[in-house]
Amino acid sequence: MSARDPGDRAPAAPTGPGPSDPIDPRHHVSEYFRLQRWEIPPADGAERMSEFGGRTPVEDHQCGAGGGLLTGGLLTSVDSLGGMAAGLAVLPRWIVTTSMMATIGRVSHQGPLRLHGRVLRRGRNSVVVGLDVVDEGDHDVPVAAVTMTCAVLDPVGMDLHFDRPLVVDMPPPSPNARTPEEFFCIEPGGGPVTRLRLDDHLRNPWGILHGGAVAVLADVAARRAVVAHRSAGGGDRPAADPARLAAADTILHYLRPVKVGPVEARCDVLGGGPTRTLVRVAIHDVGADDRLVELAMVAVLAV
Amino acid sequence: MAFGGYPPPHHILADLGLDAEVDSDTSARVRTRVTPFVTGADGGVRAGVLATLVDVVGGAVGVRALRPDWMATADLTIQVVRPARGPFVEARGRVLRRGRTTLVIEAGVFEVDGDGSDVTCGAAVPAPAAWATMTFAILSGGRPTRTSGAAAELADRWSFTGAGLDAPVVDVLGISVTDAGNGVVSLPVREYLFNSIGAVQGGVMALLGEVAGEVALGAVDGSDDAVVVTDLQVAYLSLGRVGPIVSRTKVLGSGAGPGAVRRGTRRSAVVELLDDGADGRLTTVVNVVGTTVAAVPPDAVPAGSAS
Repeated sequence: MSARDPGDRAPAAPTGPGPSDPIDPRHHVSEYFRLQRWEIPPADGAERMSEFGGRTPVEDHQCGAGGGLLTGGLLTSVDSLGGMAAGLAVLPRWIVTTSMMATIGRVSHQGPLRLHGRVLRRGRNSVVVGLDVVDEGDHDVPVAAVTMTCAVLDPVGMDLHFDRPLVVDMPPPSPNARTPEEFFCIEPGGGPVTRLRLDDHLRNPWGILHGGAVAVLADVAARRAVVAHRSAGGGDRPAADPARLAAADTILHYLRPVKVGPVEARCDVLGGGPTRTLVRVAIHDVGADDRLVELAMVAVLAV
Repeated sequence: MAFGGYPPPHHILADLGLDAEVDSDTSARVRTRVTPFVTGADGGVRAGVLATLVDVVGGAVGVRALRPDWMATADLTIQVVRPARGPFVEARGRVLRRGRTTLVIEAGVFEVDGDGSDVTCGAAVPAPAAWATMTFAILSGGRPTRTSGAAAELADRWSFTGAGLDAPVVDVLGISVTDAGNGVVSLPVREYLFNSIGAVQGGVMALLGEVAGEVALGAVDGSDDAVVVTDLQVAYLSLGRVGPIVSRTKVLGSGAGPGAVRRGTRRSAVVELLDDGADGRLTTVVNVVGTTVAAVPPDAVPAGSAS
């Protein structure tokens, strides 16, 4: 198993508000979850690729039913850190995430969460990154593991200048503690279909919907679908309490770029047991001929 | 039937007894009989065996969708909804997207009777027992394999038929547990479990990951209950050619410790599979989710499923 050297090369978590620089428009989404990032160059100066560390706080307004960071939020930070690791490994080309496979060991966190990413495979057309997440506030208990794959593309018109080793400080807390549903422009409601408005702050450097926004949408939509399914008598089980449902293990396939919006997540509850329900989430770009753009499989837990 | 000599008669895919039917250029189905030799502690088909089934259906779809190009499995996921007890299980795959470099396929796994009709248990529509996704890397221009010559003329129906399993699939494959507490298992590499390019078949790697995760999660639980793996998330990084393939495993969220685990508790682990004979090269990463259950005695498996 790869070394996860907690702390010895990791910058300390800030204890108060950070610098008040304007938000980099390329980093709106990762700044919402206040992701701190740092590059870990190979210790021996060999030609191995850098690894990356990250840290994200666990704030009340971003927590799910388990008391920990919403899984969609955790995956947003994973996507940002893993994307950085993959992108810097293929310079002067860049990457776009094509899939994420996440297993969630715990949905309750003390926080902050520390992330560690390393490139597992670098090919001509794709990069695979493995990421681990531990709970710094709970003796570094491992809480999640993610494998993400990125396609390698030519970055036409994109500024790819980075000061190395790369360090991104933890953004300051926001004075407006917006919920993930509010920040990610997810319309209120319930049922098997959940809709997201594609505002500009949700676009990534490629100008398309950020992969983290897709993860949050899948999380919210899957939970709403389970509530609706149970309310309609599905699964021969009592109605589900929305406040006791948490998304956990998640598969995401980014099939096509989301460019237009609005975006609709259409859910099928496939079944499950008393504590775990599996939901298939098909995500469509309504404004782009309603084409299928992402497929997610989400395990929703009763906690 | 075999494609260009693959698989040979003495091969895991032949012994599973697979029947395939291609519905169109973008969809196919592959079926296998449920026997006690392929089931886990809850009486349902092992997730790793289901992974093998969906890998084959993905290949059946992909070879048509991509011809004359060829492909290699890049990742595979399977999530079990409920125990799949048969009498047969059928994977139904279809193309989600064909890109320039990758092909994405999803597959549902359903319980069916011998004639292929759905086992609905009174439901209006058949419910899946598991759901799977796969990504295949497209190898442009094809690749010289034992099967590539058969790609031009593809049958709509075919079967892989061998002698059948005469022992639990884990034993037949030769998987041994070296250190249960740390999830260390070992698999000797031999032609019996090769894919069409002479490396360990992707479904077998998934099954090896399942076993490693299962023993590690069981050791953490420390109870008499059994562990059943419900989810496998497999990333194929390089080929396992030399062997033995050995695992190292890390259990997530293991703060509760032995004695604190209730039946039905869900746990996760990350399994890395390394080719010990190739300088310990990392070949595959498998994220595993398991649940503790009361074990089902082997004789409780439906009689019709016995081989």
